Amino acid sequence: MDPLVHLEDAGVSLGGKPVLRHVDFELQPGQVVGIAGPNGSGKTTLIRVLTTLLRIGEGAGSVLGADINSDQVFGVRSSIGMIGHTPALIGELTLLENLVHIARLGGVAEERVDSVLEVVGLDEASDRRADASSFGMRRRIEVAHLLLSKPRLVLLDEATSGLDDSARELINALRDRTVMDGGGVVMVSHDQKQLAETCEEVMVLTSGRVESVQ
Amino acid sequence: MSFWGQTFEITRVDLRVERRLGDTLRIVLPFAVVALMVFPLSLGIELAVISRIGPAVFWALGILFGMQVALRQSVADTQERRDLHALLGVDPAARFVGRMMSGSVLMLAFLVVLFIAMVLLYGPILPSGSWSTVLIATVLFSLGLAELGTLAGEVTAGLRNRIALASLIVAPLALPLVIGASQSLEALSRGAGILPWILLMLATDLALAVVGVGLARPLEEATR
Amino acid sequence: MTRIRVLFGVAAAAMAVGLWFALTAPPDSLQGEYSRIINVHVPSLWLAFLAFGVTALGSILWLWKKTQRWDRLASASAEVGVLFTGIGLFSGMVWGNAVWGRAWDWGDPRLSTTAVMFFVYLGYIALRNAVDDPVVKARRSAILGVVAVVQVPLVYFSVNLFRTLHQTQSIRPDGSTMPSEMLFAMLVNVVAFTILYVALMAARIDVARAEETTRKTELLAGDAVKPPKLSEVKDV
Repeated sequence: MDPLVHLEDAGVSLGGKPVLRHVDFELQPGQVVGIAGPNGSGKTTLIRVLTTLLRIGEGAGSVLGADINSDQVFGVRSSIGMIGHTPALIGELTLLENLVHIARLGGVAEERVDSVLEVVGLDEASDRRADASSFGMRRRIEVAHLLLSKPRLVLLDEATSGLDDSARELINALRDRTVMDGGGVVMVSHDQKQLAETCEEVMVLTSGRVESVQ
Repeated sequence: MSFWGQTFEITRVDLRVERRLGDTLRIVLPFAVVALMVFPLSLGIELAVISRIGPAVFWALGILFGMQVALRQSVADTQERRDLHALLGVDPAARFVGRMMSGSVLMLAFLVVLFIAMVLLYGPILPSGSWSTVLIATVLFSLGLAELGTLAGEVTAGLRNRIALASLIVAPLALPLVIGASQSLEALSRGAGILPWILLMLATDLALAVVGVGLARPLEEATR
Repeated sequence: MTRIRVLFGVAAAAMAVGLWFALTAPPDSLQGEYSRIINVHVPSLWLAFLAFGVTALGSILWLWKKTQRWDRLASASAEVGVLFTGIGLFSGMVWGNAVWGRAWDWGDPRLSTTAVMFFVYLGYIALRNAVDDPVVKARRSAILGVVAVVQVPLVYFSVNLFRTLHQTQSIRPDGSTMPSEMLFAMLVNVVAFTILYVALMAARIDVARAEETTRKTELLAGDAVKPPKLSEVKDV
């Protein structure tokens, strides 16, 4: 089976300075891989490479079959889902409007929005404006987004930090469903122990290099 | 979702956000009307001069304050939201056209109100048929300025001094629009044809649209 | 380095020859000694257009190939172009003020277009200074470079159209009435300025390359973070 993600000797420079060097990475369908490492080790940069939003300066790679340094990535981006540090919602819209906007742009049937809101437990809070909602509520909307769009590749960048237990379990459920559907999940955390519990493989980054793979 | 579906969805959400914020109508417009009052008050009350310079002042303020209108949406476009749109598979060209359309609608509303204020305050002598000419010129002017504003907003996205920088980029490039719009009215009052001016603005709008759509992918990547 | 020294040497020699011709050619009978300004004015504006043309070319090639050398070419040319546009505009205004009593000629579309270009590329340089990452900088300025090259002809066209409505004649004398010795001197200066352009470009591109190398050797973000000295927390 073709891997979902394949990186070979990848290097990235930001601001003219190298941030990632000689990184090899592979993710197979149905696999959950963790990325750990101290602050500033390049974890978030690697995730941005996997979203295809950041090109690599050296090496080669593919995500969902698209060469990541070519315009093929425009065709696969809608199958990639990410939960990053800051929830990406439009503050002036309500939570429901945000989700409807996402559903329309993503080409998902709007009828599913209500049921997904119920699943994440926000059906009664859905007419709150996003900028008046708590961090946890906005996070749940992001989970709802990924439940709607069912991406094959899910990237979780410190997605569970700052969340209560129920929201954390929600993200775990999203992870399990993606794996069950034959997709792949990459989880980033500075907490290596926590990753080791849930991931088949944990890659440790230090100073932009792969230190070890367990 | 189709190209136009995405385009209209982006326009719709942009306009809804602007309606809730209300910055254009509540802040930029009153500021522009105050600026309209500065000219007569600094010239002294010479009614003939005031009515003569009215349209020129309108276009000058139209570009100065119009730029703020054109640039204000891209301010709200954070890195996270850009990433969100990219990962939803939004066509970069649809993003550009959607932005441009919402910008034009806002700009047009702004200019129409400003024009009415100018007519009331300056009492310009407008020849017959002016209203349709003003409307056509204003629509083409709004489109072009929104296109330039979107382009400049994208290349300055996320920068500390972005409003000043984007204004410096837009102002000289908008010269064909200002000349086209102001001279079409001027030509009308002299009894000359307005067609060359309308065509000039149309050509500018089209050229900018082609550039914007053609560069949509690098524009979408502008912050990365 | 020696390559650049040689280039500047040749440029200096050519400029000296140009200066000699400029000062020895018989002046125009109507304009007097002021006519010699043309030896700076015309070559500067020629360089401005050449430089901004190279910037446009570099921008298009960067967007196509995405290799940094095209960005270095485009940006170096824009900087040199702004310098010479400034000299060209200023010399033109000094000349205009002396010869026809007004520094600015609204009837000349070339003049207005040049002024617009001056400000557009000032914006281009300001944009470059505001962006830190070299690739982001290259991408954004390449976009602006392409927008500018599409828009500048429209600016020229619009000012030209403006002139027809207002029937303003350009007060500038036609170049063809220039005595042949003066024309020759001017052409020598055009060549000299062009050699200077090549030398300045080579030097600027070298500097840009050196800047990039310096950045690459700096520390990685993570390397700069040292482990905290936990045992000393209570003593601080």
